[in-house]
Amino acid sequence: MEPLVRLDRIGLTLPSQAGDVEILKGISMDVAPGESVAIVGPSGSGKSSLLMVLGGLERATDGTVRVLGQDLTVADEDALAALRRGRVGVVFQSFHLIPTMTAIENIQVPLEIADHADPVARASEMLAAVGLADRARHYPAQLSGGEQQRVALARALAPGPELLLADEPTGNLDGETGTQVTDLMFELARQFGATLILVTHSDVLAERCSRMVRLSDGRIAA
Amino acid sequence: MTDIAPDAPVAAGPVPSSAERGGFNALRFAWTAALRELRGGLSGFRVFLACLILGVGGIAAVGSVTTAIERGLAAEGQSILGGDAALTFSYRFASDEERAWMAERGKVVEMVSMRSLLRKGEERALAEVKGVSSGYPLYGEAIVAGGTDLMNALAPVDGIHGLVTERILAQRLDLQPGDEVKVGGGAFIFRGVLAQEPDRASGGFAMGPRVMTSVDGLREAGMLQAGVLFQAGYRLKLAETGNLDNTEAEFEQAFPEAGARWNDRRNAAPGINRFVDRLGAFLTIVGIAALAVGGVGIGAAVRGYLTRKVPTIAALRTLGATAGTVFSIYLIQIGLIAALGITIGVGIGGGLVALLGPIFAKNLPVPAEFTLYPVPLAEAALFGALAAMLFTLWPLAWLRRVKPAQLFRNAVDPQQIWPGWQILLALVLLAAALVGAIIGLSATPKLAAWCLGGIAAAFVMLRALGWLCARAARRLSHSTLAQRRPGLRLALGAIGAPSAGTPGVVLALGLGLGVLAAIAQIDHNMQKLLHDQLPEDAPAFFFVDIQSAQLDPFTAQVMDIDGTERLETAPMLRGILTGLNGIPAKEAKIDPAGAWVLRGDRGVSYAATVPAGVVVTEGEWWEADYSGPPLVSFAEEEGRELGLSIGSTITVNILGRPITAEVANFRKVEWRGMGINFLMILSPGALAGAPHTHIATLYADQNAEAPVMRAVSQEMPNVTPVLVREQIDTVSESLGKLGTATRWGALAVLLTGLAVLIGTAAAGEERRTSEAAILKVLGASRRAILGSFALRAALTGAIAGIVALFWGSLSAWSVMNYVFETPFSLPLGSTVAIILGGAALSLLAGLGFALGPLRRKPAGVLRTAAG
Repeated sequence: MEPLVRLDRIGLTLPSQAGDVEILKGISMDVAPGESVAIVGPSGSGKSSLLMVLGGLERATDGTVRVLGQDLTVADEDALAALRRGRVGVVFQSFHLIPTMTAIENIQVPLEIADHADPVARASEMLAAVGLADRARHYPAQLSGGEQQRVALARALAPGPELLLADEPTGNLDGETGTQVTDLMFELARQFGATLILVTHSDVLAERCSRMVRLSDGRIAA
Repeated sequence: MTDIAPDAPVAAGPVPSSAERGGFNALRFAWTAALRELRGGLSGFRVFLACLILGVGGIAAVGSVTTAIERGLAAEGQSILGGDAALTFSYRFASDEERAWMAERGKVVEMVSMRSLLRKGEERALAEVKGVSSGYPLYGEAIVAGGTDLMNALAPVDGIHGLVTERILAQRLDLQPGDEVKVGGGAFIFRGVLAQEPDRASGGFAMGPRVMTSVDGLREAGMLQAGVLFQAGYRLKLAETGNLDNTEAEFEQAFPEAGARWNDRRNAAPGINRFVDRLGAFLTIVGIAALAVGGVGIGAAVRGYLTRKVPTIAALRTLGATAGTVFSIYLIQIGLIAALGITIGVGIGGGLVALLGPIFAKNLPVPAEFTLYPVPLAEAALFGALAAMLFTLWPLAWLRRVKPAQLFRNAVDPQQIWPGWQILLALVLLAAALVGAIIGLSATPKLAAWCLGGIAAAFVMLRALGWLCARAARRLSHSTLAQRRPGLRLALGAIGAPSAGTPGVVLALGLGLGVLAAIAQIDHNMQKLLHDQLPEDAPAFFFVDIQSAQLDPFTAQVMDIDGTERLETAPMLRGILTGLNGIPAKEAKIDPAGAWVLRGDRGVSYAATVPAGVVVTEGEWWEADYSGPPLVSFAEEEGRELGLSIGSTITVNILGRPITAEVANFRKVEWRGMGINFLMILSPGALAGAPHTHIATLYADQNAEAPVMRAVSQEMPNVTPVLVREQIDTVSESLGKLGTATRWGALAVLLTGLAVLIGTAAAGEERRTSEAAILKVLGASRRAILGSFALRAALTGAIAGIVALFWGSLSAWSVMNYVFETPFSLPLGSTVAIILGGAALSLLAGLGFALGPLRRKPAGVLRTAAG
């Protein structure tokens, strides 16, 4: 059976004012369906960049990236968007909700883009699943950090993705709220049968995953 | 453990306080900090600068052109007038006593002017005929093409006088030197083209090109008979030119009832001066409108700048800077940038006029002296400075009210914090100063006040409409309309978001497009008024100078021609109103709206019974056989403006003879109807024996025009036919030129609106970048995202267009209804074009700024750290 994610000696070099910076160096790894993988490592080790590559948000400059059976290194930007549409969900440290839309509308957007049969009902269901049924008409600015992240989680999972990518999902939250959001994330990923790849600084959080990949200076540490 | 060793030992203990160091100079610190921040460049102030430069530059340019023309007119006052002073008499020459009075004071030149047909064979054209006596011109130079001396060209050869014409007339009639031509009933020889007529500009509104001959030539041609509508003018080259007021007073004292019009070199072309003043005032107001629109951009730019500076402001406040100090830092920065913008605006506006003016001066119908004039530039700078302060103070005031904790919570919106009463008072004072300066420095304060009122009303209305549109968009974004349409929801949500700046864009773009729409609609309605109503309301011809004995044969001949429908005639004299209720007209207190009545000579008629079509509104018409003291029927509106009532008396000078008449009744006069109308109709006895001619209007279809023209000019050459359609075209052309000037002004407002639009679009780029990245993460294609951005821009533009249409049409309707008192019709084509134009402009600006965010890779945007 083909793994859900297959990375083959991928590299990522990004230009900067001080010259090119080599962020990822020859990373190879497979992730099987249903796995939960924690990517850990010190700041600047390339964790978030790796996650961006996995989500097709950044293009690897070397090697091949196969996600859900598709080679991301040759797909154009719209093809990558089409891949994410309904199949890959992403949760960010900074939530990245659309400020001009209410909580429920934020959740409706990916469903509508994916041409879901009933986006409103599904969004309401997801909002209830993250415990925010009563905040449907609230704008992101009217929600606390934890609530915003729960909306972001509901948004990422609403179309029922096969792969959930989470970049420091508790990084902007206090300990207790972080734990609540994490519990919810693991629970929902399990319920939805989504494979979870998680970037975190937290060893506690990493240990809840079925596998841990440690990055150091752009490489997988032994 | 890392060893970090200091380069030098640090003194222990507290640092001396500012008081101990001689006192903390907050202002000096504010200066230093402001200059340090400005080292970062002016990138955040492009819109601020663009708005200020456009507004100030426009006002400076208009002021410079107006001043250049005024100076030109003043400097060439003598040659424009053709003398130091001028006396004009309506269809009479000066009496011997009056001539003697003039001769005592210097050199005198006589001239007469009238309208007549110039004919060569079957070809004919209406011309402004001017006869001059020897010695013309007293100042300046009259040039005949080819270098012939003017007096030689006009001198009789074998008993036939010479004449010269403007080039356009020579071309139209294919005149060659030596050709015999006819003016009125007299024969003349065409001697050449009049290349320069120094006093042309003082002549006022011209109905045709110039024909110049000698006074004697006209007299011998029988064109100066009693009753003919000509004006006799005398130009004086005074021996003593020191006190023109005294000389004028001496004439009035010597000849109080002469009915002559005095003019002198100080105001050689009052009509042009008035026109230049009004156009200048209007265009200055348009410049102010541009500044008002720009003010929105200025305010938004300052708000945006301060929002970006929140971390700096938070740091400064944390380090102990007071709210006042921080306010000073940013006030200094913005003040310096405003000074830069004003300087550039003044430099561009004044500089362009000074540099390019001389190139265009040759084509101007009036003299102008182009150079850098400090006064209009200072005025433009003053308006710019006041407007900049007015629009920056509100967002800056936020700095005095915001709490440091709010800065750190990143929960600040400069728009949401109400300024304190001191700032509100300062704003009121600034607004009052700006209004006072605009009205006080305007050549036409009343017009300025009305225009400012209009701008203020438009400002409030547009702002309110913009706010309503934003609210509606926000509501719609949550409606079922936006369900399953994420692109539409995103667009509506973005338009409705409080930080979107929609009210500002609607105001800026709406004001610009609205001014354009209003001018286009007024222009359209004026043209429509002139053309469309012509067949119904306007006669085909006016005829002047019909001798009493010619009246019956003329009527018979004209009405015999196929296609002629109706002929109306009336005796026609001209007179100057010199007295109202026994006091000199110049000293009477009157409504300024009626001042034109006293400005020159006016048509006077007489009638025994109520003429056809006349409606008496107050008082009674005299008996048909009335033979008592003179009575007058006066035009109602003008009569009221002059303060007259039934029983009042007026003194009117006709042919040098003052006639005092009692107002017997008022009549309703429809000046626009183009029928025969007179300000005054006297009882017949009042004008007994006064030589006069008749005026006629002929209603005919277009096919009859040529035969009528031919018949009248052949059989009664002294009668001057004026083809109304041609005159309408002339007026229409003048209106078109005026429309062009005002459209350029409106364009300045639109450009400023566009700068604000672009500024707002640029300010939203960061948010669009973030939205594009999020939407890509959620699976949206670039096309879908671009579509949403385009929709947002087009919707904003369409809202601005619709709003512009609404208030522009309202303004145009007000002008047509209250100023011109005519019906208004909405021109659909240009109206739709304006809405589409607004949407297109906004769309272009929006798309221009959408491509950048779309190109950005989402990872770069969304990454909080490189992991």
